[in-house]
Amino acid sequence: MRIMKMERRARPARAMAAVGVTMALVLGACGIEPGGSNGETAGASGGGEPVGGGETAGVLNFTNWPLYIDQDDDGNSPTIQQFEDETGIDVTYSEAIQDNSSFFGTIQPQLQAGQDTGHDIIVVTDWMIGNMIELGYLEQIDVERDIPNFMEHAADKYKDRSYDPDNLYSVPWQSGITGIGYNPALVDEEITSLAQLFDPEFIEKYCGQIGMFSEMRDVISLALLYNGVIPEEATIEDVEAAQEILLEQAECVRGYYGNEYADDFANGSLAITMAWSGDVFQLQLDNPDLQFVVPDEGAILWTDNMAIPKGAEHPNDALAMMDYVYRPEVAAQVAEWVNYITPVPGAQEIVIQHADEAEADGDTETAEYLRAVAESPLVFPTDEMLSRLYSYKVLSEEEERQWAELFQEVTQG
Amino acid sequence: MPGWLRHHKGVVPYLFLLPGGLWLIVFFVVPLLTTASVALQEGSLASGYRLTFNFGIFPEAIGRWDTQLLRSLQYGLIVTVLAMLIGYPMAYTIAFRGGRYKNILLLLVILPFFTSFIIRTISWKFILADQGFLLGTLKEIGLLDQGFRLLATPVAVISGITYNFLPFVVLPLYVALERIDPRLIEAATDLYASRFQAFLRVTLPLSISGVFAASLLSFIPAVGDYLNAELLGSRNETMIGNVIQRLFLVNRDYPEAAALSLILMVGILVSIFFYIRLLRGQELTV
Repeated sequence: MRIMKMERRARPARAMAAVGVTMALVLGACGIEPGGSNGETAGASGGGEPVGGGETAGVLNFTNWPLYIDQDDDGNSPTIQQFEDETGIDVTYSEAIQDNSSFFGTIQPQLQAGQDTGHDIIVVTDWMIGNMIELGYLEQIDVERDIPNFMEHAADKYKDRSYDPDNLYSVPWQSGITGIGYNPALVDEEITSLAQLFDPEFIEKYCGQIGMFSEMRDVISLALLYNGVIPEEATIEDVEAAQEILLEQAECVRGYYGNEYADDFANGSLAITMAWSGDVFQLQLDNPDLQFVVPDEGAILWTDNMAIPKGAEHPNDALAMMDYVYRPEVAAQVAEWVNYITPVPGAQEIVIQHADEAEADGDTETAEYLRAVAESPLVFPTDEMLSRLYSYKVLSEEEERQWAELFQEVTQG
Repeated sequence: MPGWLRHHKGVVPYLFLLPGGLWLIVFFVVPLLTTASVALQEGSLASGYRLTFNFGIFPEAIGRWDTQLLRSLQYGLIVTVLAMLIGYPMAYTIAFRGGRYKNILLLLVILPFFTSFIIRTISWKFILADQGFLLGTLKEIGLLDQGFRLLATPVAVISGITYNFLPFVVLPLYVALERIDPRLIEAATDLYASRFQAFLRVTLPLSISGVFAASLLSFIPAVGDYLNAELLGSRNETMIGNVIQRLFLVNRDYPEAAALSLILMVGILVSIFFYIRLLRGQELTV
């Protein structure tokens, strides 16, 4: 087995992506009405039978984010190929998702009309899963019957999530942490608390060298945690209080970044910054000094989930794939490549095993890399770390509008 | 020419205008009307939009984003003046002193266009980085304070926009200056005008059409620019383009974004109207 020099994985989700929104824009602009009735007609979230339990059709359309699965030198995914060989299912894997909202905009009209979207598995972030469940846009699944590997191998944390408590609609693909990154070359103390990111007294020293994100949910959630509020329980008053904190901090913020924060973090323009765990893992391969911390007050664990959109044509094939990726060997193979948090803790042992094998083959470079993956708390977080992680709140449309408005005053005041 | 056309020769000019006219209708008039319609709608992506003729959105949007609107007009103005101060001597030199290097010099002016606008602005980011080649070196030899920075300041944003639109200023100025008959300047000096007086009373008035075109070509895109503020600025340099971009693509608040776009357009039209009046007056007194 051979690991290629990794490309830095851009996770465009976290940045603003223009593509695809145009679509939604056109719809909006033409005054197309998605029909006020969608909530009722499609809102089968309460009852309904789970899909699955039948024969596979031999076809699967799997739609995911770019660079979110293992890839060999030819750009093929061994994970997908092994699945095809084993099951005879022909997989069309596409990387069409750049951004939750804009991707949703592209499938919303079909879901609205009760048509197949052409996707059998989609991967979207937790809050979007919550929104889609509410709209009745996801097929119900029966994890105990159809995804036994999930029951056996997934960490408990993933079996009780606020946006889909009993995994009736989704199972995780990968997760990541939104926490604090800092550069010890520019910061002379250890960062352990959100106060060191938000407190005016503290940040004065690093004024102009502080990085924040442009992703509303991430930023507001951290400010809420600083105020001692659990993001999922936040009321609009809590968010207004969080905005105060953010406005006070704003004078010292260098910028509100998308993915490009990683460049400024790496080149020394940022001393302290919000950061995504997988990115920092990648940056550490070049600069081992850079630190990522889950602050004492807590941080955000976000999860991208696999789900079957309503009306998908090949649900049995989709379930077969979901079960397959929860095998620890497969989860390990993906984790070695994408460096985000795998929902399968058992994958860690297998990565270590792969490292030993590489060492035995004399490929020390690969062995070292794999050890780094296996030992990194950014890929396999400790229980203590996990206990301090919270999820985003699932927002109603009205809340989303209010939050966005408050947040824009922060970033563009 | 087919027979029927020969009988209706008056139609020919209109036929020539047809492709351009259609282009403008499809890509300017229709989007403009759509924008106006979106601005007056209310609703959301999930529940649909309805045209409610909500004219209140305009004062509301102005009230919320007045700082950014004024800042954009202010930056646009500074950029135009700066670009003119840098561009006029450049164009003058190329037109009157360029000699056989004229074409090469003009090529050099448009050379930056050979790479993308975004790439060029991102390279500014590298050049001006806190610990980058320029500032890093100056800090090392102690000429600058460690905390000094250019990025995320108005200086960086305004310089970035000026740089990006400078060719749009040089080219029309060059065209206007190049057309001036040098014998007119000669005649002025023969009539005891100093070089400076000749410039002020002959060259400058004759190039005023170029100044007009050049200032519009820099002012309009500069006011609407968002890329420089996005890449080189921080929240304190946010321009109205950044606000519109975020409203459209991130918040998906299409009505407010559309309303702001229209407000910006009207704002620019009004400023240009006053500018034309001003310039006309100038021409009459000269």
